[in-house]
Amino acid sequence: GCAMSFLKRFPPPAEGVRHQQPDTEAVLAGRSLGSGTLYIAESRLSWLENSGVGFSLDYPTISLHAVSRDLSAYPWEHLYVMVNAKFEEEETKEAPVAEGEEDEDSDDDTEPIAEFRFVPSDKSALEAMFSAMCECQALHPDPDDEDSDNDYEGDEYDVEARELGQCDIPSFYTYEEGLLHLTAEGQATLERLEGMLAQSVSSQYNMAGVRTEDSIREFEDGMEVDIAPVVAGQFEDAEVDH
Amino acid sequence: MEVSHSVKERTIAENSLVILLQGLHGHVTTVDLRDESTATGRLTNVDAFMNMRLAEVTFTDRQGTITQLDELFVTGRNVRYVHIPDEVDIRATIERQLQVIHRVRYFGGRDKGRKEFPRAKHK
Repeated sequence: GCAMSFLKRFPPPAEGVRHQQPDTEAVLAGRSLGSGTLYIAESRLSWLENSGVGFSLDYPTISLHAVSRDLSAYPWEHLYVMVNAKFEEEETKEAPVAEGEEDEDSDDDTEPIAEFRFVPSDKSALEAMFSAMCECQALHPDPDDEDSDNDYEGDEYDVEARELGQCDIPSFYTYEEGLLHLTAEGQATLERLEGMLAQSVSSQYNMAGVRTEDSIREFEDGMEVDIAPVVAGQFEDAEVDH
Repeated sequence: MEVSHSVKERTIAENSLVILLQGLHGHVTTVDLRDESTATGRLTNVDAFMNMRLAEVTFTDRQGTITQLDELFVTGRNVRYVHIPDEVDIRATIERQLQVIHRVRYFGGRDKGRKEFPRAKHK
């Protein structure tokens, strides 16, 4: 076989093997590495040639995988795996560049990508191989994900307790839930505020566009009216709709 | 409509726009990847980590070569942009997904619902 420096001898994974596919050829950037067994294990993806040497890929380095049945793109149905890493190929310099797959020289400033293809002799196994890989990938969420605030496993949040008002954790009440929790004083405050609001809205409509003392107007289309807010700034950003 | 069986994943989805992506199941969607390749296909699954599974995919690699892939799984980390299809009503989709999550959460009834966060991890 060819001398690929990243190939090493190691025992096949014993635990957490979701799928194992014998008689599978491994191809790196168009060069065949031989025939062996693909092990899709929860900890990593491994391939071991029948002679006992092979390699492993860690799921966090795998950006995507796919089932390819497009024979015009590649002559055999296979599992395609794209890895964010570089793999040394000693024979790259002499070997002719095939289909631009190995043309990584022009991408010096972008991250490295290695393309593996796993070609099982049993094509019907591709679905199972693909699904097993999806499951294993999902076990390795990105630890560097700075966008998400995924710390939801701190405080206890008891949904039923919230509904029964037994819980201190701040939350948003729906209108109906909120009413249930008002004290008598709270109820009075609410009524007062609502009254103020109703009053200001009605006087707003009476004032709008009218500079006379005539407060009875019919407005067919709100859009034609210049609404002057009663309380400065209160309705500044309200949209005149319909 | 599928909702994750994981409490944590439902919570993550509910509190981020992943919930919108989960509402796109079945829609043909274009995803731009971090390495500047793109994949257009029917979205069959999105999880809370934005890992996406697509079927009947047209994949354009970063060199512009186009291939067809039966199924594609891309890790959330490598998704740069998801094109929301024009026919999707974004707000309605989010509301519908929230309802689905709430149906799961309140399935046992008012007094029998499950606690939505696990107590200290048993690891």
